[in-house]
Amino acid sequence: MLPFEYARVTGVDEAVNLLAADPSASYLAGGTTQLDLMKDGVLGPERLVDITRLPLRGVTRDADGLHIGALTTMEELAADPVVAGELPVVREALLLGASAQLRNMATIGGNLLQRARCRYFRDPTVPDCNKREPGSGCAAVRNTARMHAILGVSERCIALHASDLAVALVALDAVVRLHGTSGSRSVPLTQFYREAGTSPDVENVLLHGELITGVTIPPLPAEAATGYLKVRDRASYEFALASAAVVLVMRDDVIAQARVGLGGIGSKPWRSLEAEQVLTGAAASGEIFREAAAAAVQGAWTVPGTAFKVELAQRTLVRALRNVSGGAR
Amino acid sequence: MSTVESRDVRGSRDAAPVIGTGMDRVDGARKTAGAAGYPSDVQLPGQTHAALVQSTVAAGRIRTLETAAAEASPGVLTVMTHRNAPRLPDGPMTALGASPPAPLRDDRILHHGQHIALVVAETPEQAAAAARLVRVTYDTSDPVLGLDDPRAERMDNPWGMDADRGDPAEAVRTAEAKVSGTWTTPDNTNNPLGLFATVAVWERDALTVHDSTQWPTMGRVTLAKVFDVPESAVRVLAPYVGGAFGAGLRVWPHVILAALAARVLRRPVKLVLTRAQMFTSVGHRPSTVQHLTVASTGTGELVALDHRCTSGVAMEDDDFEPCAATSALAYACPNVITRDVQLRLNIPDPTSMRAPAVGQGNFALESALDELAHSLSTDPLELRLRNYAAEHPGNGLPWSSNALRECYEAGAERFGWSRRDPEPRSMRDGDELVGYGMAGVSYPWYAQPCKARATVNSDGSAFVRSAATDIGTGTYTVMTQVSADTLGIPPGRVRFDLGDSDMPQSPQAGGSGLTGALATAVRDACRGVLGRILDLVRDDSESPLRGCTIGDVTVGGGRMHLRGRPAEGESYADILARHGQVEVTADGASTPADAAELGMAPAGAFGAKFVEVRVDADLGVIRVPRVVSAIDGGQILNEKTARSQIIGGTVGGIGQALFEETVTDAGTGRIANATFGDYLVPVNADVTQMDVLFVGDPDRATPLGTKGVGEIGLVGIAAAVANAVHHATGTRVRSLPVTLDQLL
Amino acid sequence: MAEALSQRRAAGFAPEAPVELHVNGRRHRLHLDARVTLLDALRDSLGLTGTKKGCDQGTCGACTVHADGRRVLSCLTLAAQCEGREVTTIEGLTAPDGGPHPLQESFVRHDAFQCGYCTPGQIMSAAALLEEGRADSDEDVREFMSGNLCRCGAYTNIVAAVRDVAAAGGADASV
Repeated sequence: MLPFEYARVTGVDEAVNLLAADPSASYLAGGTTQLDLMKDGVLGPERLVDITRLPLRGVTRDADGLHIGALTTMEELAADPVVAGELPVVREALLLGASAQLRNMATIGGNLLQRARCRYFRDPTVPDCNKREPGSGCAAVRNTARMHAILGVSERCIALHASDLAVALVALDAVVRLHGTSGSRSVPLTQFYREAGTSPDVENVLLHGELITGVTIPPLPAEAATGYLKVRDRASYEFALASAAVVLVMRDDVIAQARVGLGGIGSKPWRSLEAEQVLTGAAASGEIFREAAAAAVQGAWTVPGTAFKVELAQRTLVRALRNVSGGAR
Repeated sequence: MSTVESRDVRGSRDAAPVIGTGMDRVDGARKTAGAAGYPSDVQLPGQTHAALVQSTVAAGRIRTLETAAAEASPGVLTVMTHRNAPRLPDGPMTALGASPPAPLRDDRILHHGQHIALVVAETPEQAAAAARLVRVTYDTSDPVLGLDDPRAERMDNPWGMDADRGDPAEAVRTAEAKVSGTWTTPDNTNNPLGLFATVAVWERDALTVHDSTQWPTMGRVTLAKVFDVPESAVRVLAPYVGGAFGAGLRVWPHVILAALAARVLRRPVKLVLTRAQMFTSVGHRPSTVQHLTVASTGTGELVALDHRCTSGVAMEDDDFEPCAATSALAYACPNVITRDVQLRLNIPDPTSMRAPAVGQGNFALESALDELAHSLSTDPLELRLRNYAAEHPGNGLPWSSNALRECYEAGAERFGWSRRDPEPRSMRDGDELVGYGMAGVSYPWYAQPCKARATVNSDGSAFVRSAATDIGTGTYTVMTQVSADTLGIPPGRVRFDLGDSDMPQSPQAGGSGLTGALATAVRDACRGVLGRILDLVRDDSESPLRGCTIGDVTVGGGRMHLRGRPAEGESYADILARHGQVEVTADGASTPADAAELGMAPAGAFGAKFVEVRVDADLGVIRVPRVVSAIDGGQILNEKTARSQIIGGTVGGIGQALFEETVTDAGTGRIANATFGDYLVPVNADVTQMDVLFVGDPDRATPLGTKGVGEIGLVGIAAAVANAVHHATGTRVRSLPVTLDQLL
Repeated sequence: MAEALSQRRAAGFAPEAPVELHVNGRRHRLHLDARVTLLDALRDSLGLTGTKKGCDQGTCGACTVHADGRRVLSCLTLAAQCEGREVTTIEGLTAPDGGPHPLQESFVRHDAFQCGYCTPGQIMSAAALLEEGRADSDEDVREFMSGNLCRCGAYTNIVAAVRDVAAAGGADASV
């Protein structure tokens, strides 16, 4: 790590003002991405502003939904009674998302902002990485790429957004609350992220100094069923090769509402409106699940290392739909 | 010395023998308290910290090298490069081959990750930050990276182990059944949890090095030659090593750099490798391409075996990986040809990784046999039994021990092999396809000379030592047991020390050869002490033991007595006190068994592995819920630690089978997955039921009847998993690791 | 590979600050480079080398300690972030009566380690796991201990060691 100054803040405005005044400063929350990338030499802020003691921790519920303070840890959110009782998709995504130690450190805001696991991005000795050095190219495209994305990517960048939680949250229409020097704003999570597109270095709509203060999950219909399925090589402690977050509202055998998030395959946490369109109003069946899955991976862009994900992602979604719908085959 | 004799001096009614029992590890309390001192834990007064700068290209020359910014960085004491470092000679030839080339010789780059500078600073943070400020440009040339690159220099029969028996070509031509194919294994990285660390300090012309090594004796010899000082002026210390699995068998360039920097700065230097550097600096299991043909009669008697293996080696280094050669010794087969070839590549030095060569070669051989059994509609277990080698297939001598048949039978029984429906894809549990697979293992015998020293103190306690290492194998504990039983002193009164090159010389912890060599030397030293104690009382009229030889006495409870007459004896403490001795010390030694002299082929361990896999029929996800390992390890010195060795090897085998692959970028030679997040090793959730059975009798070629078990646990798991995956799914996977994308 | 330094950094910018750490019930006043992680502060400044560095990247669990009673990775925590928090390391882990924690004895009895390098992290993780109430089944222990790599492969014995202590009543069990 290059030298930096450490500053601890106790107020949200204090934090935001410090960052706004210093283009070389970064926030430090759980540290599991920030410090890792600083050790790798990818990030080199001259000032770290420790926000872990800001009053942004805890979960509350009202008519608008579940409000999650941005500094709530993954472990705390997984243990929340509402999450544990009513939102299995969130709880499973959290518990499958990291080790217990990391869950005790990583915050919800930080989780949403985690950076790509791409080893070409994370190694400054690799000269060509559009995410790190815009315009320099993409080394991952012509090399090994098993852990990379197939949706929202191009030859400019195939880095994966590896968060499990964010996949569940995009499926739940979660909204993030942001606070900056010019005040607060709310952004639906589906509009918070940007596809790799022409500027893979810009991953979201956050401005410098802007702070995520919380996330709101709107209420679900009482009869909604949810679930998260994660497919990976190891039985635990690994990023997804493919994952699916599913929310279904069933009326008898008919799918009245469907929401689908996909992980392990997108440059951002992937919401598949295409799959939802196929599912909504249809009778639950293996056939319709497969049709929805095929719709979800339309437009996939692959390299030899990621080609298998087109099939795997579909099978993962089909299985998740079957599980959440109560076993329709 | 015979096995019978060894029983005579141990055991008595007041102290049950501890050899063979599952005694808790003697270093357990220290390890669980965090009090065991590994090389990375060493802190010396005035210590400085070093960080490596490594090449970012795989081949070429350094064009420019700017160190000014690093030198000006806060806390930096020196930046060593090939421009300012003294030229050092290469290390000597060792029992395992040549030493790695000396570091910072010139401006040539032979692999990505080659050390090109060492930055030393007051703190580790300062050194690491300054290392990133060294600016290097290269004149890059096109690296030779692939086993399919025609430019690669080829070395045929590099170890002189190629085997030729009978006429395999003719036997294959006329055989009733045959399987022929190509199997591949990837680079794997040892990746012990302990980051390799070196702390070097010079006092006048004497060098002390705390190092993550499996072989302090070799470390001393090597450093003495490299720095041109007497061996007596070098001390290598490794009382605890955070795992190694072969990575600690050499004095690597970074060790020499740390010692060199300490000499230049006249201050202690500490160098701890990063996890990424663990992939390029301390060896790896090299990838292989293996062409194999097995041919048999219509009833499965092998008639021919043709195994040809190509693996990679660094441009200017050695590695011992005769992957094909060991296949010649696995089964009774009249016509055999094995060929091993090495290609020189621009890759980091490969080195032994747990079960070197055998781990790769067995995958191809035992996979091919499974295919042969399937093509013959023969049970794969039955096929192995039919081709059991009753004599050593190479020299025709009887084995010093061989319970491979019992391994097959006991393992199959415990596993429930008879419940296997031979039809692939026939066993199912919900969404999961269930598969059973198995493999056999004949592990090569290996032994080296070894020494030890034993002391009985005036208080009746014992102190025994040797320059061996305990890399987690249990050496501290089993040697305490051997000492305790031989001396008749309770294990709690025995201290066994190791990991210090000032102690009597020992071979490496490796090749499954240490326990046999060291236990014999320890026993010899302890018996030497008993002889000297009897010498003390030879003419002692007060001693009931006067005039006795070692054959006349029994030991136990810290004393010696006449055999069969427990009352007629006395304690060591009494004898030493009466004769004014503070201690009695003797040296012991062992030499490898000689097959010709014995009239037997000394045997390594044998094993049979049975694996259940479950494969999700849609998703391809593979899990291994159950493994049974039946092992002939001869006399097991400690049931608990030996079982842990087998389980640990099995976990390594699951890693090899399903997860582990060191990926190198084409073109640049950079390792693409040099983290624990990207290079997957098994986690706790991947390992469920592990059954270990020990079968067989004490081996006749070693005095204590032992055979090493450090490596056999790994071997056969990869093939058994792949065979089980075929049984579950009907899909043959001939390249490791077996991953879900191959099953979609 | 080399980075362009800002003027400030080229001029020797290297902030240090006083940090007060509470470790194993003792208070330590240190003056540290801001970059120093909790792991390095424990090992290099306080001599508490029982906590191990296996990756320095948050991927192996060898550096697991407790901060305010929760298991965390000390390699991805700055020492400065821990001011005012109670940090417990393997050297400070005890049973309620002050003796060795029953996990330590159970790990020895079940041979739940080989080289021993990951062991302090495994034990700290397991101690937290017991407090979290996640040791009710082998399957739970396996899953919730999966953040601690053991390259020697002692996993099944680790599970047995943890389950034994859980069955005996957790940390309160007498040794």
